[in-house]
Amino acid sequence: MIEVQQLAKRFEQGRGRGRRVVEAVRGLGFTARDGCITGLLGPNGAGKTTSLRIVAALIVPDAGSVKVDGIDVAERPQAALARMGVLSDARGLYPRLTARENIVYYGRLHGMARAAAHARADTLAAMLEMTALLDRRTEGFSQGERMKTALARALVHDPPNIILDEPTNGLDVLATRGLRAALRRLRDEHGKCIVFSTHIMQEVERLCDHVVVVAHGRSVADGTVAELLQRTGQNDFEESFVQLAFDAASGPAVSR
Amino acid sequence: MSAAWTVFIKELRDALRDRRTLLMVVLSSVAIGPVILFALSALISSMEERAESREIWAAGMEHAPTLRNYLERQTLVIKAAPADYERQLIDRRFGDAVMVLPSSFEAELAAGDRPAVELVSSSANNRAAGSLRRLQRVLAGFNQEIALLRLTHRGVAPAVLEAVRSEERDLADPRARAAQLTGMLPFFVMMAVLYGALHAALDTTAGERERGSLEPLLMTPPSRYALVWGKWGAVACVGMLIAVLSCCSFLPAQWLLRSETLAAMFQYGLREAALFLALLVPLAAMLSALMMAVAIRCKTFKEAQANNTLVILGVSLLPLVSLFNQEGEQAWHLWTPALAQMTLMGRVLKGEAFSAPDLLLPLAVAGLVTVACLAYVAHQLKSAALR
Repeated sequence: MIEVQQLAKRFEQGRGRGRRVVEAVRGLGFTARDGCITGLLGPNGAGKTTSLRIVAALIVPDAGSVKVDGIDVAERPQAALARMGVLSDARGLYPRLTARENIVYYGRLHGMARAAAHARADTLAAMLEMTALLDRRTEGFSQGERMKTALARALVHDPPNIILDEPTNGLDVLATRGLRAALRRLRDEHGKCIVFSTHIMQEVERLCDHVVVVAHGRSVADGTVAELLQRTGQNDFEESFVQLAFDAASGPAVSR
Repeated sequence: MSAAWTVFIKELRDALRDRRTLLMVVLSSVAIGPVILFALSALISSMEERAESREIWAAGMEHAPTLRNYLERQTLVIKAAPADYERQLIDRRFGDAVMVLPSSFEAELAAGDRPAVELVSSSANNRAAGSLRRLQRVLAGFNQEIALLRLTHRGVAPAVLEAVRSEERDLADPRARAAQLTGMLPFFVMMAVLYGALHAALDTTAGERERGSLEPLLMTPPSRYALVWGKWGAVACVGMLIAVLSCCSFLPAQWLLRSETLAAMFQYGLREAALFLALLVPLAAMLSALMMAVAIRCKTFKEAQANNTLVILGVSLLPLVSLFNQEGEQAWHLWTPALAQMTLMGRVLKGEAFSAPDLLLPLAVAGLVTVACLAYVAHQLKSAALR
């Protein structure tokens, strides 16, 4: 379970006269429950990546709090990270290592024994349908193969909470469907709490149990897809999203 | 600690799998000793051959029977110079100066008219210029003999011509003399270590960032210090491996020494190799940390390479201080990294004794710089992942 409350983060860009302050996140909050896929849906630049980086203890927020299974991320980042599997925007692999070595390396960093990490790599490979890739060097992997390896790497320590930042970026239809199937299994068979950010409507419609619409650094609406449709009085989810994200938002996120 | 060990093993495996880069670095570091020594020994033995050569190339020797008589008594072999010796000297195809005697030599000598003997060489032709001095010495000997004969003939003591006798005494022992030639070896070894560690240092920092694998790495529980510690360990290990290889490459290289003089002067045994390593291992550790610290701020491998040129330049320029500085070794030389190692390795080659503090001081400096650089890398790691 991930609880995010009143997050705020400002960045300073440039120097001297060209200096400006960007309010990336201002008062974002949501709750992602176990056994449920929560989607953060928002346009580019809405603050999704920054929020997820704060959740993953990479950025210290200016205000607000993040609790992962009751553990405050700011107070005990190590303990919180041990309960999270994060597939971030940057998902670089080590090209001279095999997929298995990439996965096992992260398992070891999470404190797993060598044998356990290898066993886990096999299990994940079977689940993500990448067993044939496992002992190949990741150099020359396709986008989809890379994503699977990176996802397996993020899940190696069997975390109860899974965070994915735009996981379908650059994937073809088959790879996207494979990913969706994997996420559903993680939810249904393992009861994981899954949070993923995206700007793609279909992803949310097909996959999410709970949607948080993010615009200009804050959450403007949340609920199931049906609830959001009902609230906006639309039949089409895209129309509903545009109305929620762009019409309801007030003012630009940039102040001089 | 176990996390640092995991990172260390992974980075080392990663670096060792980069076969092509590693092969180039290892080849160049292992080849460096034999190649330099071989070139040096070839140079010295050719110089020796020329110095000991008993041959004199002359044109018109038939006009100078008295000189010929003198030369033959000195057991020198007189050879007729080729007809186009001037052309050949200019083209550097001919490597000896030529003595040219005028046809009137004998008559002028008898009349006491000081016949002119031309010694033809080219200062652009190094080999010929070297043998010029020998011809001058031979002629000086001839002059002295004739002068002595003439003086004794007139009943004058030869001492009249020589108010003072000069005697030379060279204080340098053979190893110190050889060190003038072998003095650049430590420099090449140091550069080998630097280039050996360079690629690994960049790959674990700027490379990791460019690949986009730094951010996921920071989202694992180990502390930043554990990550940096492990990474640095692997980079330093590669640098130290190169140090060991290049230090050991001088041991078999000695068998290649063609010049017996150099072989006798260049004494490089296990003791010297051990001392070299004792100096180079901390240097490798320090340079690894320094290059990582420079690279961590760079977004791409290429940018890091460009920035690290500064480190490479520093390491290659510092040893020049001892070259330019005419006042000899200063106390601060041992405080300056790279320069200290260079100075001390020079002392090892000269066979000079040095005390434990001399070794410990550069070690302490290297240790401090390493710790400072690693702390900086750890500090920068998180912001580097996000920029």
